[in-house]
Amino acid sequence: MKNLIVIISVCMCLMVRVMAQRSEHSDRPDEPRVRFAPLRIYLDSGARPLAAFQFELKATTGRIKIVGVEGGQHSAYQKPPYYDPAALANDRIIIAGFNTGSELPAGRTRIATVHLQIIGDVEPDYELKLAVAADADGKEIPTEITFGKGE
Amino acid sequence: MANKEEHFDEDLELRVSADLRADLNTLFEPRFAKGEVPPEIDRAVLDRARQHLVRPQRRRPVLRWVASAAAVAAVIILTFSLNLTKEPRLSTDSSGRAEAQADIDRNGRVDILDAFTLARHIESTSQPDLKLDINGDGLVNRDDVDLVAFAAVRLDKGIL
Repeated sequence: MKNLIVIISVCMCLMVRVMAQRSEHSDRPDEPRVRFAPLRIYLDSGARPLAAFQFELKATTGRIKIVGVEGGQHSAYQKPPYYDPAALANDRIIIAGFNTGSELPAGRTRIATVHLQIIGDVEPDYELKLAVAADADGKEIPTEITFGKGE
Repeated sequence: MANKEEHFDEDLELRVSADLRADLNTLFEPRFAKGEVPPEIDRAVLDRARQHLVRPQRRRPVLRWVASAAAVAAVIILTFSLNLTKEPRLSTDSSGRAEAQADIDRNGRVDILDAFTLARHIESTSQPDLKLDINGDGLVNRDDVDLVAFAAVRLDKGIL
């Protein structure tokens, strides 16, 4: 029993010390402000059904880190799209998705949401470039890709 | 009167002989007055008591407890020192090897349309073309499609 109390005391001391160190780090006044924000990606395929897409996103100003990628609005793209896991904690990502089903979205639809960590007070600017978008036959279609900030 | 002496003995005189008193004193009187016990007797009593009462020292269990405490402490330090919020990075080596094969539509670049084309091919036939076995496992299935798709989104082949 005495030994158990000793072990618990040692563990508590270690935990308190580690937690204290962590709070010291996080309370440093010289560290830049960090916040998290979603960036919603929209694609407008007009009247044509959207069967596949691929785009690249990167920050041109400001410091960001990509922390997660979420699927889209339509049931065809609700699953998380394809992306390189190396893009996480990076400021650049290539995202792609496709659906071979018959229920496909047309018009303007949200195809993905990229969750970002924004470091510092500078509002970042983003560059978004569509690589390809195709209809159900695999034919490339003209589309417009845009993004929306905020909740 | 004689009857009274036979049945009521409270009036009997309790007397003992001087010899008996001396013998009883020898037997039951303390041999030493308080505080006059010789030290050698004290030591002998203590030695006998220690033999019965003192537990042998358990060195091994103490060592075991110390080792357990050290292990718990090490686990706690490791847990806090590791950055657990960091996402594990997946290896993209396999997709790199397959990239040359992944250009399904032979347009000179690997993009999501290659994965889309392969997926449609797999869904449209029960005997897919074995040349499209990208990962070399003898099957043409969703794993090959995923491999092509991951090759399309690799960061080291940007489009901007």
